[in-house]
Amino acid sequence: MKRIAGFLLIALCLVPSFCTAADAAKLFEDANTSYRTGDYAKAAGLYESLIEKTPRVAAFHYDLANAYVRLGKYSQAILSYEKALRLDPRNADIRENLRHTQGLLEYRVEDSRNWYLKATEAVLKYATEREIYVGVLSVLFVFLLGGILYFLRGRGVFWNPWQRFVFFVLLLVVLVGVGKQVQSNVIRDAIVMQKECEARFGPSEHDQVAFKMGEGIKVFVVDRREDWSRVLLTNGESGWVRESDIAEVKV
Amino acid sequence: MKKILIIAALILGISVPTLQAEEVRVSASVNKNTAQVGEEIRLNIRVNGQAMNLQAPRLPKLDGFDAYYTGRASHIAFVNGVSSSNVEFSYTLIPQRAGHCVLGPFEIPVGQSMLSTEAVTLDITGGQAQPASPQVPTQPLPVNAPMPPQAPQDETVSVSPGTDDNIFVQATVDRTTLYQNQQMLLTYSLYTRYDTRYEGFEKEPETSGFWIEEFPMDREVPRENVRMNGKRYIRADVKKLALFPTAPGNYTIQPGSLKVSIREEPQGNNAFDEFFSDSFFTGGSFFARRQNKLLNPPPIQLVVKPLPENGKPAGFQGAVGSFRLSASVDKDKVKQNEPVTLKMVIEGEGNIETITRPKIPALTGFKTYDADTNSKLYQTENVVGGTKSFETVFIPKEEGSSFIPPLEFSYFDPRQEKYVTLQTPNFPITVEHSEQAFQMPKELSGNSIFQKKVKSEGQDIRYIDERLPEVFQAGIVDKIYKILAGVDLLLGVLLLILWMKDRQDRLFSKDTALRRRKTARSAASASMHKLKRLARSSKDQDVAAFFVELEKAMTHYVADKWDLSAYGVTRQDLESTLTAHFGAGDAHLKDVFELYRLCDESRFGKGSIPQASKKIGLKIFQDTVNRIERMRR
Repeated sequence: MKRIAGFLLIALCLVPSFCTAADAAKLFEDANTSYRTGDYAKAAGLYESLIEKTPRVAAFHYDLANAYVRLGKYSQAILSYEKALRLDPRNADIRENLRHTQGLLEYRVEDSRNWYLKATEAVLKYATEREIYVGVLSVLFVFLLGGILYFLRGRGVFWNPWQRFVFFVLLLVVLVGVGKQVQSNVIRDAIVMQKECEARFGPSEHDQVAFKMGEGIKVFVVDRREDWSRVLLTNGESGWVRESDIAEVKV
Repeated sequence: MKKILIIAALILGISVPTLQAEEVRVSASVNKNTAQVGEEIRLNIRVNGQAMNLQAPRLPKLDGFDAYYTGRASHIAFVNGVSSSNVEFSYTLIPQRAGHCVLGPFEIPVGQSMLSTEAVTLDITGGQAQPASPQVPTQPLPVNAPMPPQAPQDETVSVSPGTDDNIFVQATVDRTTLYQNQQMLLTYSLYTRYDTRYEGFEKEPETSGFWIEEFPMDREVPRENVRMNGKRYIRADVKKLALFPTAPGNYTIQPGSLKVSIREEPQGNNAFDEFFSDSFFTGGSFFARRQNKLLNPPPIQLVVKPLPENGKPAGFQGAVGSFRLSASVDKDKVKQNEPVTLKMVIEGEGNIETITRPKIPALTGFKTYDADTNSKLYQTENVVGGTKSFETVFIPKEEGSSFIPPLEFSYFDPRQEKYVTLQTPNFPITVEHSEQAFQMPKELSGNSIFQKKVKSEGQDIRYIDERLPEVFQAGIVDKIYKILAGVDLLLGVLLLILWMKDRQDRLFSKDTALRRRKTARSAASASMHKLKRLARSSKDQDVAAFFVELEKAMTHYVADKWDLSAYGVTRQDLESTLTAHFGAGDAHLKDVFELYRLCDESRFGKGSIPQASKKIGLKIFQDTVNRIERMRR
């Protein structure tokens, strides 16, 4: 209890937008109690309220996803797990539950991408966007400090091995940062929310159906045209779906 | 060494033909002149003299006898520089009926001529023939071995058309209909009328769907004389396999192909061929010409029946054969949580490897652990069997009298065609009280076999997270991000400034005139501050100091701007420089000159200079600096 109170106190200081720590704690406890007692619908509603007020808490998304699983709403559950992973990418419970829920879906998509694409995705998904940027700024800080010390001391070689190494690391983390930026904001993840969704060869109802997929399937949105989105699947299939059929993983 | 000497002697004999030609003589003899029907008689045809390259003579058809060529032997001798040689061809004769016989004379081709032996007489008596051991080929089946004393038996066998009926292989099974997991014996029997060597399998039998145990064959394969289709053969069982079908159904066994080599008749025309095909070395087989043959027995059809469902015991786990069960415990009186080991031994005929551990019923008073399993396989005659032992550790949990209940082992006996269930005895165990809580016994804890495996019992999502740490963590990361961004921005600006300053310093160090020109304004500004302070002073002595400072500032500024020596510059230099840049008639230039005059007046004390002149002087200096700065741009 003391621990929760401590956390809430800190949360109150750090997140001024949060109504009050006590309200949040009460709401969270009520949601957890509802979940424990099997009232998953009520628990889901309470978790949604918490997320509305404080969207960047992974536990809220994770717990909401669990409630959705219990209610049989797999697409919403997967969307919430994906959001939780965005905020807490190294959480084993979230990954495991996501994997489990994906196993309950009617449709499954083979991942036929090249190994290096898979590896890159795995690396970039290991940290949040903000964590990667902090990494970039930290290395930049070391690099700038080294440069300043060089001019202040007035001797030595600026482009010494240490500075070169730091610069190399800086380039590397910048590259990772750019990759994360692309992953988060250019290739946007989305989840199919409809029970059955038709992907077409073009952005209209007149275009022929390219393939069908079911709820919970993860797609990558690569283009937008009015209320249509062009999606790419991990098996290489591509097609246009209505925007209302999918929900973007965005926190 | 002996062989080398003989080879050398032979070479010498050929290369140095003493050729003390000797007359060639042929003779025929038998080892006995009286024999019974079926009893072997050895016929030797001997050629004496220089006639080494002889082919074995073919005997004419001998009425009333079976005849086999069994080999040859050569002898060379050097006596007092004179060589002599003889070749002896051996045959085995088996009389078929009684009576007085005259064999021969036999004709032997020697060179271009045909020589004849004398005739041989034999008296064959009737009655039961004694078991006979025919002279085996020089290098017969796998190794030389005494032939079992056995009378030839007449059998009938079909030989595939187009094949050599003097040598063939039979692959036979002891049964063609059997139960699943019941043993079947597959035997490969080689029948030959040649001097034959078994070389092994060229193609292994195809026995998918069978569990196989191969019987080890003796180094000396037993052989026997048999009679088939009216011919006499030597038979040897070269391979035996025990097959256990793993599933019911119809099967076809492809027996594979065997490789044998048979000895050819000597065909050479020179002394070497004859010599090396002789039985002098290793019975004549090492250098003898041999011909390889592949023997392909026909496929075998089998029907494997499923085990009957009727009467199948609940604990039956697939054992087929004939088995016995025994069991023992290592102690019958223990303390609580002290292990008792039950050892069960299953022994008998059948596929012992497929026997699994008898199931242990759920026991409330014991913890049970499966321990060691050992099996030992053996083959006796044509049957595969063995023993398999299972150890189970029982750890009693409660004190008092208890017992290890009987454990059951069931098997199907194909001979009786019924299931048999065996039971271990009921082992009473007396458990004494002990205060020690249960723990894995030391002797068991080091052995992973005693540890139960952790395995998944089901699948579900993991539980919700009821903590709120992310609020704190997310805030920290955000704050660190913002602080770092700000600090990095400041450091970046600072680094840029330092870099520009460093670049300027490097430039100034290379070009002094540039440095003076660039720093002239800042030096003038510094002087300006001092002059303003002096201008504000109302003291008389500060008036002189003001003009002295003003002249110095003006001179330094102009000298820096045009790279003149600040200390060696004359008034004339200054005036000419300023005139050159301002123009001769420039009004401000006149003010500058007037200012210099005022400075001189102040320095040399010609009358007092009013306080107001300081402001005028300061203004002229400022205007001059501003104007020159504008000019330089």
